[in-house]
Amino acid sequence: MENIETKLREEAKRLLLEKKADVIIGYEKGTLPLTATPCFITTPEEADKLVWNDLCTQNLAKFVHDLITAHKNSQKRVKPEDRKKKIIGVVARGCTTRSLIIHLQERQYGRDEVYIIGVPCTGYVDSKGLKAAINGADIIEGSIEGEKIKMKTSAGEKSVALKDVLADSCRTCRFNNPIISDVMVGNLAPSMNPDSEYDDVKDFEAKSIEERWAYFTKEMEKCIRCNACRQACPSCYCPTCFVEQSQPQWVGIGEDKTDTQVFQFMRLYHMVGRCVDCGSCVAVCPMGVDLRKFLKKIDKDCWELFGNRAGSSLEDMPPLGKYNEHGDKEDFIFNP
Amino acid sequence: MAENLASKDWEPKIVAIVCNWCTYAGADLAGISRIQYPPNVRIIRVPCTGRINPFYIVKALQTGADGVLVSGCHPGECHYISGNLVARRKFAALKSFLSYIGMEGDRTMFTWVSASEGDRFAQVIRGVTAKVKALGPADKLKKKLG
Repeated sequence: MENIETKLREEAKRLLLEKKADVIIGYEKGTLPLTATPCFITTPEEADKLVWNDLCTQNLAKFVHDLITAHKNSQKRVKPEDRKKKIIGVVARGCTTRSLIIHLQERQYGRDEVYIIGVPCTGYVDSKGLKAAINGADIIEGSIEGEKIKMKTSAGEKSVALKDVLADSCRTCRFNNPIISDVMVGNLAPSMNPDSEYDDVKDFEAKSIEERWAYFTKEMEKCIRCNACRQACPSCYCPTCFVEQSQPQWVGIGEDKTDTQVFQFMRLYHMVGRCVDCGSCVAVCPMGVDLRKFLKKIDKDCWELFGNRAGSSLEDMPPLGKYNEHGDKEDFIFNP
Repeated sequence: MAENLASKDWEPKIVAIVCNWCTYAGADLAGISRIQYPPNVRIIRVPCTGRINPFYIVKALQTGADGVLVSGCHPGECHYISGNLVARRKFAALKSFLSYIGMEGDRTMFTWVSASEGDRFAQVIRGVTAKVKALGPADKLKKKLG
């Protein structure tokens, strides 16, 4: 890991010096113990802030889209010949590159506007799982030593195995190495355990319809409509989200439970062929809604119905933007 | 609400979102051919099934429909060449996801009816009405007023 970190810093410095990128989005050490937070590096000196470890959680593709959109908006009133181009460098693991591919597929920006520094990924620590593993104690100090996380907590010294607190989406990750990159830092990481990725979904599908509805309503009752999942999601980039739309008003803004259900249902449905299972929404949810159970189903359907894994290939089109006239399944069509 | 509570003579409310070029014309044909079909269906005409935002379906269910029927041209016969083919993908994912969260599959129906199939249109409406009737009034996802 240290090795990757040094190489990453060197690479970032080189890119900024050679003006191959105007800003580099990466992770820096967080203000709380055992956290990493996204950071924006614009000068070579700052590059030493960059870190790469098992605590880097957020999907940085979100910020790539935000920065490019903001830059394009700022250039709107500039004469075409005076417009400046901005290249965003981004430290990208497997899921981040998948999100970038989705942006590129959806023509959000050009491939030349983003410089991808690929890093291998062995999964990140799920902070909620870590908290649960130490029985909710407060972490005062902590460090990762090999396969163990050593912590000084409010309940004394604790040590947790790294593989026990990995996020769910990382355990069954299929694409933990970058799919596209301009430069690759470090060697490819060993693959995770993708064969069991739909086990949860299959168990849930086997339940009765009433049990499934009870689970859905139970989970959605937790939701406080803070929209953190949407803010963190790299695929949620609409300038006006349906939640805020007032003409027509798709979802009510009150506390009616069906409004929450419809909001969540539609946000999840918007992820058909677009959810890369980066786990950002799950990580930011303050109420711990089990979003992944539903998102994974969408991923499974997308694979089974359309043979598409979100963001797995730059040449592919979004699955809902194309069709197969004679090959698409028609078994759901009602024939009296 | 009141009419839904009286279970004995309860009649389902079904929203049918149909495309202008095929199913709407098919419904027209059923009408001029004087084919009888249950009056439970409220038809909404849209230019093409590809124009249907899946939100229409979810919103209809939320605001009181007991069932939603979507019908367009047969694959390959779309007035806009491929609208129904793109829609077919959207609906396949939508229907699967709706039943995954625990919604009865028969509340959302998708079918194709062409302009010359007045008979088939009446049959579809009969079939859908019978299925939704068997399920009873919708309560999942439905907003309770008052």
